[in-house]
This record gives sequence, C-alpha cells and structure tokens, in this order.
Amino acid sequence: MSQKTYAVAVAPLLFLLFFLPSVGFSQESETCLSCHSVMKGKIKVQSGSMVDLNVDAEKFKASVHATLPCTECHLKFSAASHASSGAAVPSDILSLSTKISAKFTSDPVAGASCTKCHEGIYQKVLSSVHGKNILGKKQVDGALCLDCHGSPHYITKVKDGKSPMSRKYQVETCGTCHGNQEIIEKYKLEENVMDSFKESFHGRKLHLGHTRAPVCASCHNAHDIQSKNDPTSPVFGNNKVKTCGKCHKGANEKFVPAITHKRPGPIPHYGEKLLILLTMGTFAFIIVHVLLEAFADIRDAVFRKKEGK
Amino acid sequence: MSEMNTATTGIPREIERFNVTFRIQHVLMFTTFLILSFTGWGLKYAHDPEGLASIWIRIWGGPDTAGLIHRIAGVTMLIDFVWHVIYLIYLFATKQMTINTKTTIIPLPKDVFDVIKNFMYFFGLSKEKARFGKYSYAQKFDYWAVFWGMFIIGSSGYALAFPMQVSYIIPSFATGWIWELLGLMHSDEALLAIVFILFWHFYNEHLKPEVFPMSWIWITGRISTETLKHHHPLEYELLFPEEAKKEKKG
Repeated sequence: MSQKTYAVAVAPLLFLLFFLPSVGFSQESETCLSCHSVMKGKIKVQSGSMVDLNVDAEKFKASVHATLPCTECHLKFSAASHASSGAAVPSDILSLSTKISAKFTSDPVAGASCTKCHEGIYQKVLSSVHGKNILGKKQVDGALCLDCHGSPHYITKVKDGKSPMSRKYQVETCGTCHGNQEIIEKYKLEENVMDSFKESFHGRKLHLGHTRAPVCASCHNAHDIQSKNDPTSPVFGNNKVKTCGKCHKGANEKFVPAITHKRPGPIPHYGEKLLILLTMGTFAFIIVHVLLEAFADIRDAVFRKKEGK
Repeated sequence: MSEMNTATTGIPREIERFNVTFRIQHVLMFTTFLILSFTGWGLKYAHDPEGLASIWIRIWGGPDTAGLIHRIAGVTMLIDFVWHVIYLIYLFATKQMTINTKTTIIPLPKDVFDVIKNFMYFFGLSKEKARFGKYSYAQKFDYWAVFWGMFIIGSSGYALAFPMQVSYIIPSFATGWIWELLGLMHSDEALLAIVFILFWHFYNEHLKPEVFPMSWIWITGRISTETLKHHHPLEYELLFPEEAKKEKKG
C-alpha cells in the first residue's frame, strides 16, 4: 500500500475523532451542567451564604477534576438532585464537614469530600498552622484547600502554570493573606514578607523566570506549613541548615541568616544611606563637571576663536 | 605656530603611552564591565518597569544563563584586576616604573588645585586651564574608580557568587546583616559605576569634540607628541625639556 492510499484510508478515521468527547464528562455531570453552565447569579443556601450557581463548562473541562461526576464531592445531592433532605453522607466526611462548616459555608460536605481522594494531604493541612487555625481557633479567614488552589471546578495541575499555586502565581496567592495588613495585624504575622521576598535575590530571580528560584512553599513547606516559631517548621532555627541545603549544598549556620523576611537592620540601612550619599555626591560632581566643560568648550569655540589660536 | 615647531624638531611624532599588557587589561576590563552591566541590570530592575526586565533577560539566554554569564564575566574581571596589580608590582620591582609627581597616577594635592583651576576657567574667572602631567585628575578619577569598584562591587560580587565558601570566613557577629549589606553594596555601587562610565568616561574619552568618536590610544597605545604637548604639558616638558624650552622662548 502506497503512502498516499494509506493516508486516504486513515484520514476519515482521524476525522471521526472530532466527534468523540475530548475529555468526556460523566453522564451525570452533563445533566447538571445542562442547567448550571448557563445559569447566572447566586442563591442563598440554608447556612445563609450566597452560592454562585454558574459552572463554566469549558473551564471545568480543562480542570483535573473534569472526569469526576458532580456528586463525587456534592455528596448530599446524590440521591435526588435538589431534594430537601439530601442523601446520606459517610460519617467521617460528615464529621469533618461540621468542623469546617463555619469556614466553608456554601457546601461544607463538598469541602470535606476532598479527603476522599486526598486524605493524606488533608490530614497534613488540618494539623498545619492553617488547619489548626480553622479547627482549633474556629477562624474563618484562614486558608483551606480552595483559598490556595482556587475553585475545585477549575483546578489545574500546579505545573500547568495557570494554577494559583504554580511557580508563577504562588507568591501572589500567599500574598493575598500575608500581604494583607488586616490579617497581618490580627494574627501578628511577620510584616513586610511580601516586599522583602520581592526585593530578595530569590524573589527577583523567580520573577524573571529562573527555573530553580524558590517559591514560598520551597522553604516553608506546603500543606504541612507551620509557624516560623514552631520547632517543626523548616525555617525554625537550625532547621534552616537543612532547608537551605536543599539547593545550597553545604549550607552552614553562618550561611543561613542570609535570607530573612525582616526589615533590614541598622547596619545595612545606614550602610545603604552612606552608599547613596556617596553615589549622589559623585553624580553631582561628574555631571556638573561634564556640563560646565561642555559649555566652556562651546563658549571657547564660539566667542574666543581668535584669542585661542 | 605649533606646526612649524614640530616640523623643525627631531622629536618623535608619537610616543607609547600604554604598552600591550595594559591595553589587553583595558579591553578585558571594559568587555567584562559591559557584560556585567547588561546582565546585572535585568536583575537589579527585575520588577520595574513591569515585564521589560524579563524580556531583557531573555535576550541574555534567560535568568539561569544570564546568571552564569554574569558570574563568568565577574570572575574574569577580578582575574584581570589581580593581573593588573601583580603586573604593577612587577614593574616597580624591576624598576621599569618609578614614581614621579609628573607621571604618577597617584592622586596629589595638585589634582585638587587643578579641579579648582578648571572650574574657575569654566566659569570664566580664569583664562588659564589647568596644566596636567601624564594623568589629568579626570583620568586619575577614572582609574581609581575602578579600584573602588573592585573593592566594593568585586568583593561583594565574589561573596554573592560563592556564598557557601565565603560564609566560612565571615565572623559570627556579622552573619545577621552582612548578606543584606553585600547585596546593597553590589547593586548600588554597580549603578554608580555604570553612570560614572556613561557620563565621565564616555564624555572624556568619546564625546569631547577633540576626541570624538573616541581616543584611539586604547588600540594603538600611542599618543602624538602634539596631543601630549596640548593635554599633558608637564609630561611633555619632562620628556622633551629642550624642545619645551625652545618653544617657550619662541
């Protein structure tokens, strides 16, 4: 068979591929989306919070969760859609959902159902400083899954580059809380962390697209993040030696203070003032000198032609 | 007047000002300087104006490659500097170079008076320009600025390029603030160096009407005795005392 006839035979088959669903929503998702992809606006649910009814089918299709049926997470809706009583929910998920219900008001069961697939990570989060803040202190402005990863309907892989946790956007995402003055004051967080990272060599390189520059989670850990004052934190005391050593082979106690998020101390501060003074003084001298010399040259050329030579 | 004098005298038309070693050192210095400035600028102004630095750094092969280029150029420059200092020591040790107030590049009180004299001339308060030896104060300033740069930018750059090795020799009282200071030193003084070269060196050796488009000494190493007489009269008088005397009388 010549190449041409081969191509003629295969082309129609390839054309058929267009008619296949590319990712393939589950049958159930198709049903839900037939309404929810076109619905607009919000409604008030039992807990009193406003829930957005719209799910963007295109974006959902591109997410890592595209193949999951809606009721995989929205467990209460699995019996009959929109039944007032709802379906029976496994007890472990139900108990978790009550713990996070203050924080996760729209559908706490769905918020707890992440643990069905991501149990190990969910446990890490719950024992992290972010999780303890929600479970123990009952705060509602702390971070849980969606605060960092965005909507589960549109969630993409971290490596995709569009995820709020990707190398490109992670710092910005953490900054929504850690650069927020109200939250900084409320939780007595280290101030200036976003700016000091931005100004640091790490921050600059990351911004320019350096492939090995660290993001927040590189040093502070991700799901099991702890306060910097917690001895288990990778940035607590001499834990830094190991943490920095991940990239900087042979890091020692003297090396690790190189990066902090604190405001510059008095010596760098006044040191820089001194350097700026020196720089400005030099600029002033050379610029004035060059300009005056140029003017004098012009003056000599124009007005003192005869006297000169 | 001046043309007639040169025509009748037996002095050479030009003399060597910089030997080939100095010329190579200068070429190494300015090529590495330009590479360092270009690659470093992208990092210094990584954030503003938004997006521009990323494009600029991509021209240099992306941040990883630009960083490598910057380090290689930096080490080359430091080696060039060390070579220069060792070469000077060698010249002094073998008496090929001696210190003379009229030919030395070491700053002297006379240089301060020269600056004042020139400023008076610029303002029209004096009819006389300062008369220089082998190196004018502008050239001395140019030369020692490199030493300052090497001291501040070179040392901090070395520490920032090899933090692990350098951290072993940093005294423990300084570990808390030294890295921050090193970063500031490197970045602030680099800006100073760039602006200095752009204004001072470029004006004096490129843009000035009498040298435009550039002084060719960096390639030829030679200066014409005419230019020497004009710009470095004290050195001229030292080298050709007979001629200078004749011309004064004439």
